Amino acid sequence: MALLRKKDEGFSGDTVTLERVGLRYDTGPDILSDVSLSIPQKSFHFLTGPSGAGKTSLLSLMYLAQRPSRGEVKLLGEDVTRAKRARLAIIRRRLGVVFQDFRLLNHMTTFDNVALPLRIAGVGEPVVQRNVTELLNWVGLEDYMQARPAVLSGGQKQRVAIARAVVNRPRLILADEPTGNVDDAIAVRLMQLFIELHKLGASVIIATHNESLVERFPFPRLHLDAGSVSVLPPLTTASDQRAVGM
Amino acid sequence: MFGMRSDLPLRRDSVGSFVLWLVMVLVFMASLAVTVNSYIGVLLDNWNRGVSGTLTVQIPVGGGGDKAAALTVNKVVDVLKRHPAVAKAEAVSHAKVRDLLKPWLGDGELIDDLPLPALIDVEMRDEAPDAIAAVTASIKTAAPEAVIDDHRVWLGRVMSLAQGFSVVALTIMALVTGALGLTIMFATRASLAEFSQVIEILHVVGAKDGYVARQFAQRALVQGILGGAAGLALYAPALVLVGYLASRVDPEVLPDAALPPQHWLIVAALPFAAGLLAMITAHVTVRRTLAAKV
Repeated sequence: MALLRKKDEGFSGDTVTLERVGLRYDTGPDILSDVSLSIPQKSFHFLTGPSGAGKTSLLSLMYLAQRPSRGEVKLLGEDVTRAKRARLAIIRRRLGVVFQDFRLLNHMTTFDNVALPLRIAGVGEPVVQRNVTELLNWVGLEDYMQARPAVLSGGQKQRVAIARAVVNRPRLILADEPTGNVDDAIAVRLMQLFIELHKLGASVIIATHNESLVERFPFPRLHLDAGSVSVLPPLTTASDQRAVGM
Repeated sequence: MFGMRSDLPLRRDSVGSFVLWLVMVLVFMASLAVTVNSYIGVLLDNWNRGVSGTLTVQIPVGGGGDKAAALTVNKVVDVLKRHPAVAKAEAVSHAKVRDLLKPWLGDGELIDDLPLPALIDVEMRDEAPDAIAAVTASIKTAAPEAVIDDHRVWLGRVMSLAQGFSVVALTIMALVTGALGLTIMFATRASLAEFSQVIEILHVVGAKDGYVARQFAQRALVQGILGGAAGLALYAPALVLVGYLASRVDPEVLPDAALPPQHWLIVAALPFAAGLLAMITAHVTVRRTLAAKV
């Protein structure tokens, strides 16, 4: 995966810092209240919690789809609470987001969907061709480059969505139920993909309901309940994990 | 267009063909307004050049009949020729007077029976009001019954009428411009709403507002130029038709006025002006709408 390695303009401090963050929509109740947490560089976390606890909202704060109602959010060393919109766009180029419902652009081919972040960032076309082709090979979609999302299976769409999220070599990968639409075998394969990216230096946060997945991998959990977050230890240890064949 | 890719399936949006159609109508109207304005400019120019610095002296045929009138004419022409402010003074022949009246009175016997006034055309060397007053005074001394017309009242009224038409034409231009701007603004907003999910994805993967705005602006530019070209395609036959109808009107009533080259340049530029206006409007609309988010 040479393509995922690059000399990155580094940043100091944690990948994500939330300080006493509150989030509400208009005058509604607090979705998040008083959340403080730090996600160190090169870390791997699950994000767990009951439905409606605010997992998606917490992620959306981290991929800058909204700003907190209260408190401060720092991302990749930058205070994004009050940053200008244009600056947020630049920071988003160093994030990779995988949505539960994929959110692929249906009028584009697999190739163009995955190439989109590079082209938006102004990467030259030869580099786009090389990197996207290599990445699609890596996720096993080399035969579907010119296919449109409508003809892909759920698992294939998932892989396109992941490829699009990582093609820009993000420093932070946020995934919302990335294994929600696939069977366990594919779920494990996708997890291996995330672990690979994590080893290459990215911080990864995976929101999931999938208990068996959380039990299988030795990563700490951010547990969200009633609008606040606690950090829980892994449900398994690294030695257990080797036993399951990782 | 300009080697830009489009990430939005804009061709499939529901308002595109409506915008094209509307731009066509608006550019058609604008081209007619420009034509009216140009034609009036030419007419005013012709009239102005034709009558400024001239006087018409009319000697009514009195009890002395045509002969007495002719004597008075000669006397007045003599006075005028000696006047330093006058460049040229010339009696208008009877035949010419008949020609001038022909469109209104016809060529028949009626005109023979009418006591036609004797006319003198005067060209001024000095057009200052003082000089005109002095000349008028000397004509009055030579022939108290003479009626002197310096055309200013006539020209003034014709010019106000023409300027009225011009104001109407410019008002139409202003309304067309406003209508085009509003059309593009609302169409762009509808399109933004229709593609809000795509735009959200573009933002998530790092697009700036300007990137999204450029895609809409590019499309609006194309729509403006294409719709404008269609508008001119309507304008051409309309102009030919009006030109044909005008050619059947007596040239003494409606002078044949060739439209100047700059008129054709302006008309040819209309589709591009529409494209430019549409492009800027779309860009600003997108930027403003997106800036209101997050």
